[in-house]
Amino acid sequence: MKLSDIMSYADLSSYAEVALVLFLGVFVAITIRTFLPSRSRELYEASLLPLEDDRVITPRDKEG
Amino acid sequence: MTSVPSAAFVAAPRASAATLDRFSYDDDIVRKFLFATLIWGVVGMLAGLLIALQLANPIFNFNTEWLSFGRLRPLHTNAVIFAFAGNAFFTGCYYSTQRLLKARMFSDGMSRFHFWGWQAIIVSAAVTLPLGFTQAKEYAELEWPIDIAIALVWVVFAVNFFGTLIKRRERHIYVALWFYIASIVTVAILHIFNNLSVPAGLFKSYSIYAGVQDAFMQWWYGHNAVAFFLTTPFLGLMYYFMPKAAEGPVFSYKLSILHFWSLVFMYIWAGPHHLHYTALPEWASTVGMLFSVMLWAPSWGGMINGLLTLRGAWHKVASDPILKFFVVGITAYGMSTFEGPMLSIKSVNALAHYTDWIIAHVHTGALGWNGFMTFGMVYWLLPRLFQTEIYSKKAMELHFWIGSVGIVLYVVAIYSAGVTQGLMWRAFDETGRLAYPDFVETVIKLLPMYWMRVVGGSFYIVGMFIFGWNIMMTWMRRPARYDVPVIEAAPLSPKYVDDNPALPARGLWARFNQLQWHRAWERAPMLFTALTIVAVVVASLFEILPTFLIKSNVPTIASVKPYTPLELAGRDMYIAEGCFNCHSQMVRPFRYETERFGEYSKPGESVYEHPFLWGSRRIGPDLAREGGKYPDLWHVRHFENPRAVTAKSIMAAYSHFLTRTIDFEQIQSRVDAMAMVGVPYGDALNRAPAMARAQAKTLAAAIVEQGGPQGLEDKQIVAIVAYIQRLGRDIKVQSTASRGAP
Repeated sequence: MKLSDIMSYADLSSYAEVALVLFLGVFVAITIRTFLPSRSRELYEASLLPLEDDRVITPRDKEG
Repeated sequence: MTSVPSAAFVAAPRASAATLDRFSYDDDIVRKFLFATLIWGVVGMLAGLLIALQLANPIFNFNTEWLSFGRLRPLHTNAVIFAFAGNAFFTGCYYSTQRLLKARMFSDGMSRFHFWGWQAIIVSAAVTLPLGFTQAKEYAELEWPIDIAIALVWVVFAVNFFGTLIKRRERHIYVALWFYIASIVTVAILHIFNNLSVPAGLFKSYSIYAGVQDAFMQWWYGHNAVAFFLTTPFLGLMYYFMPKAAEGPVFSYKLSILHFWSLVFMYIWAGPHHLHYTALPEWASTVGMLFSVMLWAPSWGGMINGLLTLRGAWHKVASDPILKFFVVGITAYGMSTFEGPMLSIKSVNALAHYTDWIIAHVHTGALGWNGFMTFGMVYWLLPRLFQTEIYSKKAMELHFWIGSVGIVLYVVAIYSAGVTQGLMWRAFDETGRLAYPDFVETVIKLLPMYWMRVVGGSFYIVGMFIFGWNIMMTWMRRPARYDVPVIEAAPLSPKYVDDNPALPARGLWARFNQLQWHRAWERAPMLFTALTIVAVVVASLFEILPTFLIKSNVPTIASVKPYTPLELAGRDMYIAEGCFNCHSQMVRPFRYETERFGEYSKPGESVYEHPFLWGSRRIGPDLAREGGKYPDLWHVRHFENPRAVTAKSIMAAYSHFLTRTIDFEQIQSRVDAMAMVGVPYGDALNRAPAMARAQAKTLAAAIVEQGGPQGLEDKQIVAIVAYIQRLGRDIKVQSTASRGAP
């Protein structure tokens, strides 16, 4: 008996639906978590990260 | 670039300096990738212009084998995807990653290795594709030695990137970096698994997968190459550079999180929509369609998030060409991600598949989204990287407008071409016969649109030259020596200290709800990466495994036999010339297809097809049932000069087939490699060259009998004619013997 025979009898086609439900569950959990009020401050701060200017401590070198 | 602190700094240290790290960013690598983006962008788009001309008029094939459409089309797609868009992503990634993580890249040496390695891969692609070295898988054409080099360079890039994540000085991983992480890991997985093959020489290999499974793997790869090479990396760039240019935070960070996870969960399933109504099992095709339709929501979430980042700053768009590029780029993302799900609906796909509609769809995305996001980003970077003013703001405006007009001309023409051809293929007259039985009629109708595409594409390329000129003029005004600012930032403490901790909560649920547990793993980038990989791999396995392992998915057909050694040599020529770029080998189960081409294709017919050659576009007719339709001599004349037998054909001529000789001895290694991937070759394993010579002699004699030229028995033409005449024959034998198998 080959591996493909075993897998064939296992009837994996329904696994795709199981995976769909699992993924949906995880996604709903992420969604709920994202919108929890307790997360607001942290997420707002995170959104400012690209705008945070670097603390440059050397003056710009213009002497060429 | 070295980061030596200036004397002024050393003389006057700050009081807090004891606890702060000092470092500088590596912008030299960013400048390198920026120039590579420009150069390969010009090369890739000029290649696109040439192949657009070839479709408008075949004289632009110049009767030169390495300039023919079939060989140059992969050169164009690879150059614009992996060279232009790839280098653009690396440019923005190296710039933003260092700044978002407050850390120099992990290793300057690895950054350089990544840069030079990637450029070497592009050059090797530019040499090997015109020479006809190809795996025949779209966007994965490069042969196995180059594939190994890609994997190596990509791993170095990944190590460098994740090393930087580990030594970062910013606790939170910004959403742009999530997109980079997902792109880096997923591209690695896709590349490795789609390219698994058995070599048959230095520049020849056969996919380990066959037929349906190979098609499935290819479009799992192909669609996700679009997703994780052209979409998620550029979304990461959008989430960094859009707030920078608009000078305000992204509209909704929460939306960006949902956008990210829904794309990662869904994209990986969508590939089978490239194979609707083919021999792919229907359940796989339906799963692909459902996930593609669902993708519409997160994609538009991302578009809205990008555009609304401009809230309160819309007045700036009128005066700032950078924001103009971003607005049109993000809108193009919205348009093509609306269209993608629509095209994945089976009934729409039935009309659009194999037509120019798909070409128009990808060019909305590529020219609008990838191109314009790249231009906006580069213009934003120029003054910062070259430490001078942009040379000409007027040229930026001109580039924007000429590029926009170019996109509109291109896509309107090609949409029209796609719908026109799709409708012509399915049209019946009042007597119930095909209204346009002659395939070439449905092609020449498109020629005015093809010329309009040439004009639109030229506009876009003129914009590209203006872009290049502006970059070079800005670069000329750079300072004699680049200033390398030294940055100061606190290192991460080994233990996370929340500087604004929540009050202790009462009860188990309340404590769980405080989500300290989650914040912990969000701060751990390696765990985050592992979870992203799990999402991608699990989704892939659930979709891929059943296709591979459930026997009922591919019913075997007893009459389907492996190709003879000579036919295999002909098939290798078909692959090398890139015939699959214009000819499909997959008749769909529609009356207008079976009327035109013959019996629809069955999964069991392609069990020995390593790789599958179903194709994705019909610029010429489908060839799945071509065998026996015309005499051998017709094919000889047709290859020599297609217009000698079909006056209005736009196919390139292949007259060199009549003069080049077959390397009979080489056929043995090809047969052996095919046997290694599981094709039952039996007798041919020992005497493939002799068998090929015998078949070639018989065929050459038949050609002479039909009034053709003498002395073709060792010429390449007999190999390819033998292959073409074999196509679809096995099932014809069966259908006369015992009809009824579905």
